[in-house]
Amino acid sequence: MKSYLKFPALIFAICLVFLPLFSACDKKDNGGEHVELVIYNWEDYIDIGDSEMGRNNILDDFCAYYREVTGDTLTIKYTTFDTNETMMTKVLNNDANVDLICPSEYAIEKLLLAGKLENQKKLYEELKPTLDGYGIDLDGMSSVGKGDGTIEDEIMNVIRVMFGSIEDGHGNTLDMTEYMVPYMWGTLGILYNKDVISQEELDEYGWGVLWNVQNNEELENKILMKDSVRDTYAAALFYMYEYDLLPEKYKDIKNAQDLINVTDDEMVEAAERVLTEQRDHISGYEVDFGKDDMINEIVYADFAWSGDALWAVEESYDEDDEVHDDGCFLGYYCPTGVNPKTEKERFSNIWYDGWVIPTTVKNPLAAMMFIDYMARPQNAVRNSVAIGYTCAADKQLMSENDEALAFLEEQEYDVEEYFSNVGRYPEINFALGVMRDFGGENEKVVNMWQRAKSGAGVDMSLVYVIVAIVGAFLIAALVYIIAQLLKRRPKKLSSAE
Amino acid sequence: MKKKFKLTKKVFSFPYILFLILFVIVPLVLILVNAFLDSDKNLTLNNFKTFFSSPASSIVLGNSLLVGVITTVLCLVIGYPVAYILSKMSSGKILVLLYVLPMFINFLIRTLATKAIFIALNVELGMGTVLFGMVYNYLPFMIMPLHTTISGIDKSYIEAAQDLGADKVTVFLKTTLPLSVSGILSGVTMVFIPTISTFAISQLLSNGKIFLFGDSIQLSFEQNLYGVGSIMSLVMLAFVLVSNFVMNKFNRNNDAVRRSLW
Repeated sequence: MKSYLKFPALIFAICLVFLPLFSACDKKDNGGEHVELVIYNWEDYIDIGDSEMGRNNILDDFCAYYREVTGDTLTIKYTTFDTNETMMTKVLNNDANVDLICPSEYAIEKLLLAGKLENQKKLYEELKPTLDGYGIDLDGMSSVGKGDGTIEDEIMNVIRVMFGSIEDGHGNTLDMTEYMVPYMWGTLGILYNKDVISQEELDEYGWGVLWNVQNNEELENKILMKDSVRDTYAAALFYMYEYDLLPEKYKDIKNAQDLINVTDDEMVEAAERVLTEQRDHISGYEVDFGKDDMINEIVYADFAWSGDALWAVEESYDEDDEVHDDGCFLGYYCPTGVNPKTEKERFSNIWYDGWVIPTTVKNPLAAMMFIDYMARPQNAVRNSVAIGYTCAADKQLMSENDEALAFLEEQEYDVEEYFSNVGRYPEINFALGVMRDFGGENEKVVNMWQRAKSGAGVDMSLVYVIVAIVGAFLIAALVYIIAQLLKRRPKKLSSAE
Repeated sequence: MKKKFKLTKKVFSFPYILFLILFVIVPLVLILVNAFLDSDKNLTLNNFKTFFSSPASSIVLGNSLLVGVITTVLCLVIGYPVAYILSKMSSGKILVLLYVLPMFINFLIRTLATKAIFIALNVELGMGTVLFGMVYNYLPFMIMPLHTTISGIDKSYIEAAQDLGADKVTVFLKTTLPLSVSGILSGVTMVFIPTISTFAISQLLSNGKIFLFGDSIQLSFEQNLYGVGSIMSLVMLAFVLVSNFVMNKFNRNNDAVRRSLW
């Protein structure tokens, strides 16, 4: 039987040899302990360096910092997920042995209620003697009970209002701000092609642009929506609000928060109606190729997350472009505030992703230090520039931080423009709502989404195709039989003679 | 005492049996179990209720079956003449290879390339492009078995029919067509069954606007609705088994017909 074992053993040995290649940091033996930090983050959601622009991998920089402070050698194992759902399935089934995760707000809520997250405030108190020994204080973290740290207080307010006291169903009240530190945030809006859609059109029609209510001929069938239940549902609600299509009992809703968290039957039904109606005007649904299709001008409007949109806008920059004032033929528009024409209020969504420490954590010290390191203004700006999303660090602190400013200039950004861009830094007010987890209503909304995507009924054009094919067959057969009969008759006669 | 390990012919089947158990039987059992569990892992029949009472699932299933039928018919209509003509040609074997050659390229790459062509030609993506993609992808599966069957037909039947005074059309209808029914059936099976469960082609070639049963299953699993997703998979499995059963039945009857030809 021994020969059976040899092969797996060989594979195992090969794996061991290659394993270090996947780790982010070098294991140089300079004394001290070897420790490991396992990070579970979104794909393309951190600065992995760019030799052309003179940036290091931020993970390597953190390892160096960790070594400097503690004297230990840190190895980072970096793994990624592509949707909150994939990540949650793993974490909820206890399959994810990680130290740090970066989920979206609703996923954090769900994980928190399932008891899968560590309270960072308590963790900090436990670690305090060790931290004091190293002479570090983690002041940047907003979760350790020392105010908002280096995080933008407006973002913290949004979180406090929505998730400041969550009932967990066992009589406990949880404060999400003690369990997470915001990392990136943004809005939902419209990425548009300036040559096809004018600023006036956007101001006048707002979310209706995604339904092509203005009957822009060039835009018809050149719109992309997100292939994601939550975002598309939110778009449907914003559209219905702007165009007075909400069910009667929701007509007097006054802020975005209350609007996008309605998931009762009547609202879902109404959303299905407008989404089904939208099918006739759009090119399709995407989650990954929208940016490219916009840059290649295959479509002219895309329902997008602000970070993706700003990235695409930057990509569309052309030095020789003299038609557009900023040299970019793409633009990002987040319809909020009062519509100048109809004087109707318009809403959008604000979302954020944050660092949480799951209960499976093995290295809480490194995890806490990592969160603190990422929240520092100079590092937050680095990540933000690398991935296009808006970091949650305090704007004031960033614009006062010399290192951050020098970095922005080095990366060829106009500092003033960078911080005043309304796409990147919109005004946070009641017109931007946080969307909670659908909870028990998830299945209902998903079912609605399936119906909306499949169209109202069996595609009649298909039935016509079948009828046409069968009809063609029948006619061919009929012609053939008649031809046969005509041919046969004289033959029979001649043979009879 | 342990029996000494012997290298017999049987041993070579072990890897495959292991593979079969791990990747076919175990997942099937998991799907069956999941169909009866709700999101908190409690036993429930609610998933069945959700699936069978929702109009969405029947619409999606209906659309998939229609797309499957149309693709199969189109493949047959295009594939049969090709297979027939190729089997008559002396260089047919090489030409068949040309038809089958695209099959060696990954279908995702081919579909993405097809999409790029459609976009370049300014063709609007929708049902038409999806059907094109389906027919293009599954046509070789129709031509292959048809070509094999038709070229395998004993020439003496055709000669006998000609000797007895049948014209070309009658020869085709009375000998070639009945004798190639087994090829038609295996071609239909090989096209129809994959088309009703496909999801990538429809998603890519319609920008997600055409939503088929395969897409629906994918969405359910993605949204953590394992129960409903499992039931859909079981329904799909039932369709595959039923169509296989029907085809086999036909084939057996056909064998009887062929024997009775004598």
